[in-house]
Amino acid sequence: MKRLCLLAALAAGVAPAAAQESPGERLPVVRHVLPNGMTFLLLRRAGAPTASFVTHYRAGAVDEWTGISGTAHLFEHMLFKGSTVIGTNDLAAEQGLFPAIDAAADSFTAEFRRGAQADSATLQRLRDRLKQLEDSARAFAVSNELDRILTENGAQGLNASTSHDVTNYYFSLPANRAQLWFVLESDRLRHPVLREFYSEREVVMEERRLRTETQPFGMLYEEFLQAAFRAHPYGRPVVGLASEIQAVSRRSALEYFRRFYGPNNAVVAIVGDIDVEQMKQWATRYFGDLPAGEPHRPVVTQEPPQRGERRILVEFDANPLVMIGYHIPNVRHPDTPALSVLSQLLTGGRTSRLFQRLVVRDRVAAQISSFQAPGGLYPRLFAFQGVPIAPRTTADIETAVYEELERIQREPPTAEELQRVRNQIDASGIQRLQSSFGLAFQLSSSEALWGDWRQTFRDQAALAAVTAQDVQRVARTYFTATNRTVATLVRPAAAAPAPTEGGTR
Amino acid sequence: MRRALIFAALAAAVAAPALAAQDVRTEVQSLRYPALRFNPPTPKRLTLSNGVPVYLLEDHALPTLAVQIVSRRGVANVPDSLWGVAWQADGMLRTGGTTRLTPDSVDKLLEFYAINLFISTDHEQSTASVSGLARYRDQMLDLAFEVLRTPRNDTSRIRVTVGQQQESWRRRNDQPGPVLGRAWSQVVLGDHPLGRSLVTPDELAGFTPERFRWVQERLFCPQNLLIGVSGDFEERDLVRKLEALFRGWPVCKPGLRELPPVRYATGPRIVLVEKDVNQTNIRMGHPVPVRIADSPEYFASQVADFLLGGSGFTSRMLQRVRSDSGFAYSAFSSWGAEVDRDAVFFAGAQIRAEKTVAGLTLMRDVIRSMRTDPPTARDVQLARDNEVNSFVFRFESASQIVGQQLAYAVDGLPADWFDVYLRGIQAVTPEAVRQASERHLKPDELVMVIVGKPAAFDRPLAELGTVTMLPVDSIKR
Repeated sequence: MKRLCLLAALAAGVAPAAAQESPGERLPVVRHVLPNGMTFLLLRRAGAPTASFVTHYRAGAVDEWTGISGTAHLFEHMLFKGSTVIGTNDLAAEQGLFPAIDAAADSFTAEFRRGAQADSATLQRLRDRLKQLEDSARAFAVSNELDRILTENGAQGLNASTSHDVTNYYFSLPANRAQLWFVLESDRLRHPVLREFYSEREVVMEERRLRTETQPFGMLYEEFLQAAFRAHPYGRPVVGLASEIQAVSRRSALEYFRRFYGPNNAVVAIVGDIDVEQMKQWATRYFGDLPAGEPHRPVVTQEPPQRGERRILVEFDANPLVMIGYHIPNVRHPDTPALSVLSQLLTGGRTSRLFQRLVVRDRVAAQISSFQAPGGLYPRLFAFQGVPIAPRTTADIETAVYEELERIQREPPTAEELQRVRNQIDASGIQRLQSSFGLAFQLSSSEALWGDWRQTFRDQAALAAVTAQDVQRVARTYFTATNRTVATLVRPAAAAPAPTEGGTR
Repeated sequence: MRRALIFAALAAAVAAPALAAQDVRTEVQSLRYPALRFNPPTPKRLTLSNGVPVYLLEDHALPTLAVQIVSRRGVANVPDSLWGVAWQADGMLRTGGTTRLTPDSVDKLLEFYAINLFISTDHEQSTASVSGLARYRDQMLDLAFEVLRTPRNDTSRIRVTVGQQQESWRRRNDQPGPVLGRAWSQVVLGDHPLGRSLVTPDELAGFTPERFRWVQERLFCPQNLLIGVSGDFEERDLVRKLEALFRGWPVCKPGLRELPPVRYATGPRIVLVEKDVNQTNIRMGHPVPVRIADSPEYFASQVADFLLGGSGFTSRMLQRVRSDSGFAYSAFSSWGAEVDRDAVFFAGAQIRAEKTVAGLTLMRDVIRSMRTDPPTARDVQLARDNEVNSFVFRFESASQIVGQQLAYAVDGLPADWFDVYLRGIQAVTPEAVRQASERHLKPDELVMVIVGKPAAFDRPLAELGTVTMLPVDSIKR
């Protein structure tokens, strides 16, 4: 009785959020495009005297060609190694050693390519020689000088990340030091030197082991994408396949850079206590003379329609997990808002349908979540991830997910469910304006992916216009058994051999 | 203001003549920065009629509100027999309903109004944070206080928690990082509650509504609390609301204890947990006696940690282990400090299995290098410049500023602690860093805990000393 009254009050107390402009779209962002195509999004806002800088390049793991997986990400690491000035105390001496180092790397790669026939003693000898040569070049390097300069100037959050679609670089500075970003960023973009390349390749292998090979979720996700995408590069891991990381050459990384890092592929957002006119002047002064590069060309490969359910097992010494994925269109498709609302209805919060059923009512799962991945530019997956509570199994989770999908295909979501989602959209539309860094990241990403910084705000606002019928329609369109990929993590049988060493020999 | 003055001075110091044909390094050195004048807003502190301190900082830029309710008491203050109950008391507060509202009703109200309510019972303090749109101020405060004052601990939700915790226990050895964390805590802290982070199956049998209630009403009660409010509100109105919310909340009941004395294990000691992984998880360290205080040695220890392994790529640990050697993706140090007791220094990394012993040796050598090859004046200047130049980032948002004041108050530090800290760091000399490292870093007395596959190691671990095996199933908690 008490409960009914409450809910009635809820429905009456809150005005429905009509499809409207998101508050973000009204931000006074200044879009400044240099003649070479480099785009700057400048936003002055009140608050502490800080400035956040986020650059997105239209260059991701999908743009790699066969045999070099992981290069987009490895190059991202290399852009922190400096330039012809920053990072070295004798460029000529240092670069004079590069041909010998690259030759040693090629010899190693030639032996490595023999796979199972490779001679481990030879491999070790060649690896040692490579290390020795690179150490001799290190004598002329000023390792991590870029970090050092930024650290002494109080930079915060210096980092970068690579995804299937794009690569981004970012940090924040005290606002009075904004010019330092222009000096250093233009320098590393103009004259990058890929020093310490082969030891960084080893670092990336350790990153792969840290995030994928020693982690049940990481391993399952990699295999899940590989099963779902057989043609499109969304199936390749961003960090790279172990065998390819160990064979990437400095030449390939540089070639990747030349193809995709033209200023016309870069979008910079600067948000904080900034002088917008001054930023424009510096943009021209520091980046204006960079020659435009090749325009970014979308991947031509399309994933063919799936011709039947795909199920894989991933053996790993851990308790079971399951991922269930359905192919859906890219983000610009008109069905995207309804799919996002569906995701909220099913797994967004404790009152969502699958959480209520699997976690609260039946105690089948410790966790259930859904997400859309691995990118947004190309057709992708609507995926569920579940953690069963023994003795319940991943099959029990599958059953519940399929039943709830069928239920939503039959019965539309209630008005109250939709209102909850709309209210959450409303709140997050305001909350996402809170941090300068968060705003810079969103503006830069939206412009790089969709050619318009407002697009992400609009997409968010479009969710409010989704109707119960829209949700039902997309549930019927995409959630079929034929369109499904299921990956399950299972323990290897007791007699099975230990897991392999992930490609190293 | 003090801070603004420091900046004007620094800006003058970096100015240098610009050169005609300059390379980028010269250009960086010749950049002239305008002085950064910034007086961060200071939260207003007042006391409610029941004695609860409140920190208020209005910020009307966005129509949002954030309220932090902090208790000076945590799980370690609860008797050992109730450790597991206390560790999960936060989740039960959030999900177990109230005497008036069912668990479902609380969830629905929170999610309908898009209110974020996060409750945490941590080792030495407990927190409830609630935030959302300012127009739902009453809904958010009413619900947060109702949940804290009159929890129901519905048995259906206790069953949910028990199932989830059983599964966490079952999965405790699935990932190498958490295995290392638990093994390290067991080796270094033994049975002390500060070393625990996982509820055992035995403890789950004792999960009852009454026991949860016993813990909850002792952790969250007026004498233990401090409140911080930031965002879009009006002071008088809000204080009136808080007074009303506290009305009739009884005083704290007895039964909690002071933190039991902490005794850390000492080295040298090598403990190996076998796990079939191609990357070895490593932690090495020892107790350190330097306490958080306005003392030159404390500030010197912070600079030493920054240069040794606390500052990423500008630190020796990541430089040597990652950039120079390619052994690991991550490597760091953490020189811990507490206000009222000793703490632990440690270094950690995840190192390629075939470089395990080389990596352990290197990490130990890097720690030793702080004594044998102490930081230069330039190194120390880097750490000092970083602190002073990055200070604005400690004051970026109203909720961050309020949170900082709450943290100082809980730790018994003065409200102007950040000024004291900044001055202390600025006064650190290379000699002070050397002395602190010399006195307190003990590369020959390290406790090393290693999770990995010894068959894949480059050399026998025994070369480093006597190795004790800790089977993964004998990590008790």
